[in-house]
Order: sequence, then structure tokens, then C-alpha cells
Amino acid sequence: MAIAERHQSATPETARGDVPVISAHDVSKTFGDGRVVALNGATFDVRPGEFIALVGPSGCGKSTLLRIVAGLLERSGGDLRVHGEPVKGPHTDVAMMFQKPTLLAWRTAIENVLLPAEIAGKVTEADRQKAEGLLELTGLTDFAFSFPRQLSGGMQQRVALARLLQTGADVLLLDEPFGALDEFTRERLNVELSRITSEVGATTMFVTHNIGEAIFLADRVFVMTPRPGEIAAIVDVPLPRPRDPAIQVTPEFNALVAEVRGTLGGRL
Amino acid sequence: MSAAGDSPPRAGGERSGLVVVNHLLILATLLAAWEIGSRAGVLDPLFFPRPSSILAGFWRLYVTQGNIWPHLGLTVGEVISGFLAGSLMGIGLALVVGMSDRVRRYLKPYVIVIEATPRIAIGPVIIAAFGFGWSSKVLIVMLVCFFAPFVNTLNGMLNVDEDDISMMRSMRASKLQTFRLVMLPNAMPDILGGLRLAMASALGGALVAEFIASNAGMGVLISQYTGVLNMASAFVCVLTLTVLGFAIFRLMEALDRFIVFWTDAERMETVSRRRARRWAERSGGRP
Ligand SMILES: Nc1ncnc2c1ncn2[C@@H]1O[C@H](COP(=O)(O)OP(=O)(O)OP(=O)(O)O)[C@@H](O)[C@H]1O
Ligand SMILES: [Mg+2]
Repeated sequence: MAIAERHQSATPETARGDVPVISAHDVSKTFGDGRVVALNGATFDVRPGEFIALVGPSGCGKSTLLRIVAGLLERSGGDLRVHGEPVKGPHTDVAMMFQKPTLLAWRTAIENVLLPAEIAGKVTEADRQKAEGLLELTGLTDFAFSFPRQLSGGMQQRVALARLLQTGADVLLLDEPFGALDEFTRERLNVELSRITSEVGATTMFVTHNIGEAIFLADRVFVMTPRPGEIAAIVDVPLPRPRDPAIQVTPEFNALVAEVRGTLGGRL
Repeated sequence: MSAAGDSPPRAGGERSGLVVVNHLLILATLLAAWEIGSRAGVLDPLFFPRPSSILAGFWRLYVTQGNIWPHLGLTVGEVISGFLAGSLMGIGLALVVGMSDRVRRYLKPYVIVIEATPRIAIGPVIIAAFGFGWSSKVLIVMLVCFFAPFVNTLNGMLNVDEDDISMMRSMRASKLQTFRLVMLPNAMPDILGGLRLAMASALGGALVAEFIASNAGMGVLISQYTGVLNMASAFVCVLTLTVLGFAIFRLMEALDRFIVFWTDAERMETVSRRRARRWAERSGGRP
């Protein structure tokens, strides 16, 4: 049965819009023998190719939710499926990127990008060509043989992004990937991320503290509130993607910002 | 343009050349003062042999009599075999322990107790058990060389970044892959730091072992020469050990720069260029 479902999701033309890539029902997580409720009753579907942004104040369970979807953290309750299969641990279809670049200091950029291929088995010529292509996509061709310490913070995160794409996963989870960068770099990388994810057709969940960033990037924004961590509202962003940075000053955009801010304000 | 680009390094080279000349002048002045002081009777030549007689001693011990060679060979042999055996055991055990939480918990109290015991105090016990020969001296060097690599390797294994481990897990890396690709290279600077400490104490350990009980080796030779107040020859032995210690230090430094290249900006660029070349060669046939 699992195989049949898996098969179904492998044909995106018929599946698109019908079968959710991620489907969560009443997913919860508690820490410390149930004293800390990090996540409570998370119920949602994510459609193929959709870009979801998670916003909310610190401690509302954004990272917890992402790590559960990645299979890095076991859920305490509820049902969670990726491509119709229950999540039981890390899966090849799902890849995650962290706030820190988590690059290996003793590997050049391209060797870092090839890490997923090396873990999966022998690195082939096709893997190498793909890595070169991804470094080109992320604008790092001239830095392929630089070591992480020779790169700026923004460039390091681009390498991490290329590595994320090298996995071939169609579900990308990004936990504040550009949070440690300055605003200019972050904005530029956001625009590139938006372009790249629509180019490769990946389904994306993206965590951020920044409401404007969430609305600029996402098809839908999950607004989360803390104690207990919950998805308080889901806000649709009915603007076509990828978007021009100029839309950030339009009235529609500002109305959406106000809507999200209102949801957070009411619950805090 | 090119002249301007070339001149700063040359100026730097001249300056470091000047530093060497200065140091040589200082050294020559000191040696001359020593020689003159000794001849004038200010320094007792019995305990402070003249530089000229130490020089003659070098010629005697190394060339005409050549009697230093077997002792030097023995001590160096003890140092190398004890160092290799002790530090490899230390590193190996730390890697095993570092991988397993349970082993770590059980072993910890023993390690702390043994760590608190001064290593050299165990020396006479080892000699009582294994005799005056080669094996007990190597065992003492092993003991001296075990702990620094062990503790450092364990620390290196434990200070790995949790996010790096999560990243590896999310890519479905096996425990062995995580170890090989992340934990071991991550611990490498610490491991080499431990080896440096071990190497520094290995020579000392071998000499103390020879002082306690032995019939050959540099420690024995020094004891014999000072026993008959042949201080010039004793100084030859001490200076030999100084040079040996310095050579070992330099060797470890070079090893460190070679293996842990990613902490050194200059080395990183060299390795970066080499890997770029290798990549180009491998994909040479491809357009
Ligand atoms: N390993 C853990 N043990 C105990 N409590 C935890 C653990 N991990 C997270 N928590 C708790 O779960 C709650 C949610 O944490 P989480 O890291 O998901 O928040 P977040 O929304 O990602 O916050 P931030 O924006 O600061 O990253 C917090 O109250 C946190 O203290
Ligand atoms: Mg977080």
C-alpha cells in the first residue's frame, strides 16, 4: 500500500494539487515528561511545489515542527506523512538547512556540496557535474575550490543551499537559513531562494522571525504562537511567484503584513 | 608597478636577515664572555666548562671515540617506540570511548583516578615488574605518552557541533560515516595538540627512566660523565638532547601544518589550488 501511494506521488502531473506532499494531523511534541509543550495540535497539508513560511516569536515551536518533519525529532503524538508515507526518521526526499551553514571546514565548497552524494554511495561523474551546476546556480562558480573559512557568511550559506539541492530531495526545510546575515545579504539571498525553489519545483517550508520576509517568499504563511506552540492562523498570499522585491511597498502587501501582525498581536 | 609590488617582501627579507645576524652577534658575545670569564678564573671551569672544551668534547664523543652513538640510538629508539605505542593507544581508546556514551560513563572514573597519579611515580613500579631492560623504559615512555593524546582526542570528539551531527543525520549518514567525515577531522587539531604534548614529555620520560635504573642510554651517559666530573662531555650530551628536542618540536609543527591545513590561511590556499588542479585533471575530457 505504501508503495502504491509512493508511486502516485511520483507523477506530479496528476498529483499536483490533489495529493499533499506533507500532511500533518494533530502533531504534537512535549519535552521533559510532558511539562514543556513545544508543539500542540499542528494540522496542515502542504501541496506540491508550495512555499510555506513559518513565522512567530521565539519559542513557539518553529524549529521543533521542522525537525519533526525532517525526521530528526520524534513526535509525541499525531499523524505525519510525507508523500503519503508516515515519517519514521530522516528520509531521502526531505532535506534540511540550518541557521548555521554547517559546512565542513576541511572540505572545499564543491566537496561540501558533494557530501550528500558521498554519503549515499560512490560519487559519480554525474554527481560532480550536478555539483558544478548548483554552484553556478548559486553564483559560486569562482569559489568552488575555496574553503569555508575563505568565504563570507552569505557565500557559506549559498554553499549550504547548493548542498541542500544536491541531495535531490523535493521537500526542502529551511530553519532561519539567512537569519545570521546582514539585511542586504539576506534580502538578496531571499530573492535567489525564491527563484531557485520555483526553478527546481521543490516544496519548501521556511522558518523566519520576519513577517515581511515570510509574506514576500511564501504562498501561505503559518502564523505560530507560543505556550503551547500552535499554528494560530494560516494566511494566504495570493500574489504570483517569484515576486519582484518592489511588491513590498504595495498596499496589498502591507494589508497582509497587518493581517499577520494582528493574528500575532491578538494571541500574545 | 612591478618594482613597487616586489619591494615590500625584499625589505622584509632583509630585516629578518638582520635579526639572524643580531642573534648570532649576541650568541658570539655570550660565548666569548664565557670563554674569557672561565680563563680569567671568574667561572669555575670544573662546573662551567669552556665553550672551546665543549667543542672539543663534541669532536671526541661523536668522531674520535664515537661512544655517544649507541646511547643516543637507544634513547631515540625508546622515545619513538614508546611514543608511537602510547599515543596510538591513547587515541584509539579515546575514539572508541568517544563513540559510545555507555563506555564513556563506565570508564570515566578510572581515567580520572589514573590521571591524578603522577606518571613518573609509577616508574619504579614498572621497573620492579619488568626489569632494567628496554621493555620497562619503553613502557614508562608509553605511560607518559598515553594521557595527553587520550584526553585531547576525547575532548575533540565531544566538542563536535550538534548542528553538524543533525546535518549528517538528515542526510541519513551512518554512525561510521558521521565519525569518519565529521567527528574525526573535527578532532584532528586536538589530536595533534595531544601528540605534541606527548612528544614533548616522551624525551623527558625516557631520560628519567634511564636515571632511575638502566645501564645504557643518554640518561646513563650524563650520569656517568657528571659522576666523574667530566662536565664538558656531560654538556655535549645535554646540548645533543636540546637539538633533538628542537628537531622533534619542529617535526610536530610541520605535521600539524600538513594535516590541519584549514586553520592556516596560507596552507589553505595551497591545498585549494591543488584540489582545483586535481578536479580539472579528472574532468579533463569533459567540455
Ligand atoms: N531538546 C529540548 N528539550 C527541552 N525543551 C525543548 C527542547 N527543544 C525545544 N524545547 C522547547 O520547545 C519550545 C519550542 O522550541 P523551538 O526551538 O521549536 O522554538 P522556535 O520557535 O524555533 O524558537 P526560535 O525562534 O528562538 O528558534 C521552547 O519552549 C523550547 O524551550
Ligand atoms: Mg528555532
